[in-house]
Amino acid sequence: MIALIGLVIGVVAGLILEPSVPVVLQPYLPIAVVAALDALFGALRALLDGLFDERVFLVSFLSNIIVAALIVFIGDQLGVGSQLSTAVVVVLGIRIFSNVASIRRQLFRA
Amino acid sequence: MRPTGPADASMTLLNEVMKRPLDPSYVEVAARKAAGLDTDRRGVRVAWVLVLATLLGAFITTAVVSLREPKDGVVQARALLVDRITRGRAQVASLRADTATMSQRIAALQSAALASSDPQLLASLNQYEVVSGAAAVSGPGVRVTLDDAVAIRQNPDQADPSSRVMATDIQEVVNGLWAAGAEAISVNGERLTSLSAVRGAGLAIQVDLSPVLPPYSVEAIGDPATLRARFSRTSASTRLEWLGARYGIVSNVAGVDRLQLAGAGQVTLLYAGVHVPSAVGTKAPTATPTFATSSTPAPKGNTP
Repeated sequence: MIALIGLVIGVVAGLILEPSVPVVLQPYLPIAVVAALDALFGALRALLDGLFDERVFLVSFLSNIIVAALIVFIGDQLGVGSQLSTAVVVVLGIRIFSNVASIRRQLFRA
Repeated sequence: MRPTGPADASMTLLNEVMKRPLDPSYVEVAARKAAGLDTDRRGVRVAWVLVLATLLGAFITTAVVSLREPKDGVVQARALLVDRITRGRAQVASLRADTATMSQRIAALQSAALASSDPQLLASLNQYEVVSGAAAVSGPGVRVTLDDAVAIRQNPDQADPSSRVMATDIQEVVNGLWAAGAEAISVNGERLTSLSAVRGAGLAIQVDLSPVLPPYSVEAIGDPATLRARFSRTSASTRLEWLGARYGIVSNVAGVDRLQLAGAGQVTLLYAGVHVPSAVGTKAPTATPTFATSSTPAPKGNTP
């Protein structure tokens, strides 16, 4: 619950203040958003399974974003940026789909 | 004996990604809580959870907002370019009008100066200007119109690119008209001088660096009946028929009672010499136009 309140406050603050993202970070924003989506759906699934814990949620949120951005950054340095980012997007996409599938099963059977 | 793992042990990665149970952390932490091993101090935990959640929320919102922005930027950039193009065109039009006025004045001064000192030179100059394209002319003639196939007009992106009229087609038509005996030719209002070129730049056609758009109208001054008869015997006429049959390019050759072709204006000066009045030597032109001129020079300079 605290985590949810904090998230909402953060979203509202982001919408009102509209900070600008430094140009260096601009290429990693799309992958960060997809990684955040994966963490969100994982949390929803845990919530519906009765296993939700806010620390795990926040840490997984943060580490997903950082690891995804790091992988794309390293890929850019090595020259395989687009391939690595494709791989990250594929994996995150599969995870999102499998989480959404269990959420659907929970919602429409339970 | 070596213990055997599950049959699909080598597919751990795919299993992990596709069939994995819930993120193991959730399960472990739930087990720990059930066993009562969670001993964090409540206040500290609330504090950092709140801070971290706020930061993450703000970050994701910023990311999403700034990823949506490029659309506005693109629209603005396009509007800016369109505005610049419109202003550029207006500028070109006004500069052209200026050039036309200046050419008229120069031509008037020129003929005034020559009329008194050397009328023969003036007469041959008039003839040369008609032939070279510097002077505006009017008279009967022929108009050849060409247009892209109907498919291009209806669906420009998907139609076959060869159904567009190309620069080479217009070049053939112009050459055919010259061979048929035209005295002056203009393409979409651009007068062809002795130094003119009709060139293609990608899909666009340019006459002397001015772009022309379909439908194309090639106007030639000469006796309409003779011009049409001779033009139909040139290879240009065959090509027009072939283009129509093969690609659907629409073309038409028609006689016109009165055509008015603008002059190309002042020509670039390449060579100048001292003028010796005709009393000293003969100044008869060495080259005369091969056909009797049925065109009469319009008032000197460009007719707007």
